[in-house]
Amino acid sequence: MAEIRLTEHPILQFKRGRKISFTFNGKKLDGHEGETVAAALHAAGVTTYRRSPQLHRPRGFFCAIGKCSSCLMTVDGVPNVRICITPLREGMKVCSPKGKGQLPEDDPATIWTWPGQYVDKILETEVAIIGAGPAGLSAAVETTRMGAETVVFDENDGIGGQLIKQTHMFFGSKEQHAKVRGIDIVPLLLEQIDDSRAQIMLEATAIGLYADKTLGVVRRQELFGLRAQKIIMASGASENMLAFEHCDLPGVYGAGAVQTLMNVYGLIPGRRVLMVGAGNIGLIVSYQLLQAGVEVVEVIEAAPYIGGYHVHAAKIRRAGVPIHTCHTITKASGQEKVEGAVVAQVDSHWQPIPNTQRELAVDVICLAVGLSPTAELLFQAGCQSCYIPELGGHVAVHDENLETTVKGIYVAGDASGIEEASTAMLEGRLAGLCAAESLGKKAISERKEEILSQLKELRTGPFGEKARKGKEMMRQEACRYGL
Amino acid sequence: MKRRADAVIIGGGVSGCGLAYCLAKRGFKDVVVLEREYLASGATGRCGGGIRQQWSTEENTKLAMESVRLFGQLDEELEYETEFEQGGYLILAYTDQEVEQYKKNVAMQQKLGLDVRFIDPKEAREIAPHLNTEGVLCATYCPSDGSANPFYVTQAYAEAAKCLGVQIELYTPVTNIEKRGGRIASVVTSRGKIETPLIVNAAGGDSVSLAKMVGVELPIVPTRHEIMVTEQVEPFFTTMVISFKHGVYFRQEKRGGILMGYGDPDERPGFDITSSMKFLRTMSRKILNLMPALHRVKVVRQWGGLYDTTPDALPILGPVDGVEGFIQINGFSGHGFMLAPKVVDLLAQLITGEELDLPIDRLHMDRFLTGEISRDLSVV
Ligand SMILES: Cc1cc2nc3c(=O)[nH]c(=O)nc-3n(C[C@H](O)[C@H](O)[C@H](O)COP(=O)(O)OP(=O)(O)OC[C@H]3O[C@@H](n4cnc5c(N)ncnc54)[C@H](O)[C@@H]3O)c2cc1C
Ligand code: FES
Repeated sequence: MAEIRLTEHPILQFKRGRKISFTFNGKKLDGHEGETVAAALHAAGVTTYRRSPQLHRPRGFFCAIGKCSSCLMTVDGVPNVRICITPLREGMKVCSPKGKGQLPEDDPATIWTWPGQYVDKILETEVAIIGAGPAGLSAAVETTRMGAETVVFDENDGIGGQLIKQTHMFFGSKEQHAKVRGIDIVPLLLEQIDDSRAQIMLEATAIGLYADKTLGVVRRQELFGLRAQKIIMASGASENMLAFEHCDLPGVYGAGAVQTLMNVYGLIPGRRVLMVGAGNIGLIVSYQLLQAGVEVVEVIEAAPYIGGYHVHAAKIRRAGVPIHTCHTITKASGQEKVEGAVVAQVDSHWQPIPNTQRELAVDVICLAVGLSPTAELLFQAGCQSCYIPELGGHVAVHDENLETTVKGIYVAGDASGIEEASTAMLEGRLAGLCAAESLGKKAISERKEEILSQLKELRTGPFGEKARKGKEMMRQEACRYGL
Repeated sequence: MKRRADAVIIGGGVSGCGLAYCLAKRGFKDVVVLEREYLASGATGRCGGGIRQQWSTEENTKLAMESVRLFGQLDEELEYETEFEQGGYLILAYTDQEVEQYKKNVAMQQKLGLDVRFIDPKEAREIAPHLNTEGVLCATYCPSDGSANPFYVTQAYAEAAKCLGVQIELYTPVTNIEKRGGRIASVVTSRGKIETPLIVNAAGGDSVSLAKMVGVELPIVPTRHEIMVTEQVEPFFTTMVISFKHGVYFRQEKRGGILMGYGDPDERPGFDITSSMKFLRTMSRKILNLMPALHRVKVVRQWGGLYDTTPDALPILGPVDGVEGFIQINGFSGHGFMLAPKVVDLLAQLITGEELDLPIDRLHMDRFLTGEISRDLSVV
């Protein structure tokens, strides 16, 4: 049986950092520098972190990208820490909270001398970009190229967003990094950012966006303001949950979480996986699981057809993994973590058909059932929103230049509507160009035309249909708001 | 939507919905409530939910005490859980001047039968652990003060009113009010006109513009007030803490989030209710001074709403001179949620011609004409 920590992988090499120790509920455990607390716990075989406050159900991580709050723990006395994006440090004390977590004890030595970590400053910049994923980095490429002073920040401790776990090769043209793996695109983008004009701030979370284009940013417990003339929101998306019996058990993981564990930290999520969803993400992650030596028991899909590219489907079928359409999951079983799953066929209304249930012995249920744009900050700033299911739900109304209803605030990538990394990079570049152009920087209209035509190209064909339809509806919404 | 009604209430906040219920309960049922957006979308849904009886004027204190009594019966009467809790209010005194004022307040409040007393900083810290009592001379404490969920209270009133036949029209802004010979004749909305002899102006911060439609100038200044709330932690205090010196109030909600607000003296009048970075910064600094242990607790939401402030910080209730059939229930100056149960009860008595069980003559609009007003000093 394979170890949890991968040592061999056909594509990736895992250079693990120095070994460091930490404690989990008083018990000493080892991890590696460069891992998150959640990754180190997973490697140590800990899947259940705490109990839910009301019903005392076991809780582990779900999204592993800091977007769902399933992994909240008390770390060094601080309650409600998202350990899936918290870097592990030597000597850390990680504890299950009692109930909802308690305040740290008043420390008589410091209590009356507070505030020490409150920083009363407002920084200024021409362009602020929220998110250092493919869209955000691409935006910075363009804004800096056009001479705009740019600050990019991200709440993670590294750049790349979801790209850092994408081991598959991209499609499209050379401009769109065809035949390059997602993980290798990050350094290419970084190289193109003019660092004399850009500042990249990591472990920095935007917690407020105001109509006057000021951002509230928390970085290592320090709150400061950042006033920008233009803002580009490239904050990505969060994984969707699916409701079924015991769907909250540890072992029910989002597809992004499984990718993160495997491709970033070199950890297998479990031994036997049920994949729910046969869109591109479900298919690609299934293939990556196989590459890591994990058994994918089957892929199920509620729709009567496979949503993802057939090349991907063919690859995993060749490896002997069945793909069942018109199937759903109805239940997860297990006490402390997933030990099995019940799947069933669905009728044309997506309702389970009686007597078609089958039990599968699995220890991971991977949900690849779509994403929702993270656009809350835009709504706080007063950007008008609309609901477009084809784009993943509530999105900020925006025009062709990706500008929202609040002038000077742009949105790009998954935050503007769910698509994939290639379109996210193009949207990022477009938003960057338009933002810099509206700052009075010299515009290069050919480049804009070229990006628009590439976007159009990517959205043609049967697999671009959803995005095409979504963006068409967005155009109508934009008209309604006079954009 | 009806084309004719005995009364039309403008505003679906706690005042409008509460009044609709109290009228219908008395058999006055041909009532329409018009709300521009959704229920509690105005100040009600944006307020701190605090319920306090410790005021400096008798008017506010009496109304609040009666309201607390009614809040206690609300769940049973309306068959709704409104999360009314009596966790107390702690008012911190930092200066001799404050102490002097609070002595007067407490004497008056005790005379009215309120269970309120002075406590020392040590006891204050027992009631609100983690409280920084540096510089605190003493505090006043009333254990029967508390809080309720403003959305639930409004919803409870609205549903009970609907059961009794009241019609509530959402997303229906009023665009004009028509008079005929000095009397209210009809109200014009985005969805048509309703003929009615009686209009109640319960539109919160927007009451001014509605009154203008019939030539009435209300002395109300709309001003933004902001609030923020933290993530949930295990409940460790139940009381609302107020410091007038810092202009701050805060409490821990039942679910664990710590809710806090402050009145910004530099805030200019207007209808802007968006959130601001200034509030986030200033509020953070103030709360970390008052409760340093919160420094690692994350803020999860912030929002703003309108105070409809009058010169004496007391509400405007009842008819106005010059326009017959135009009743005011506005100008609550930042404490209309806590006063609502008694105020709507009194206005229902007034409208149905009953004898009032608590006189409100001193809260009529005409008090501002005679110039005899005394301001309530206990306002955040
Ligand atoms: C930040 C903040 C904190 C507060 N904290 C407290 C507290 O702790 N305790 C307390 O007791 N009070 C508090 N208050 C005050 C309290 O919220 C208000 O006094 C109270 O809610 C007033 O209720 P209302 O129904 O009169 O007005 P609102 O709740 O404002 O209702 C008025 C309604 O009228 C509607 N309307 C306006 N114009 C039109 C039109 N033309 N046509 C149709 N509808 C219209 C609006 O949409 C709104 O829903 C606070 C207020 C704020 C802003
Ligand atoms: S936030 Fe950590 S698992 Fe989702």
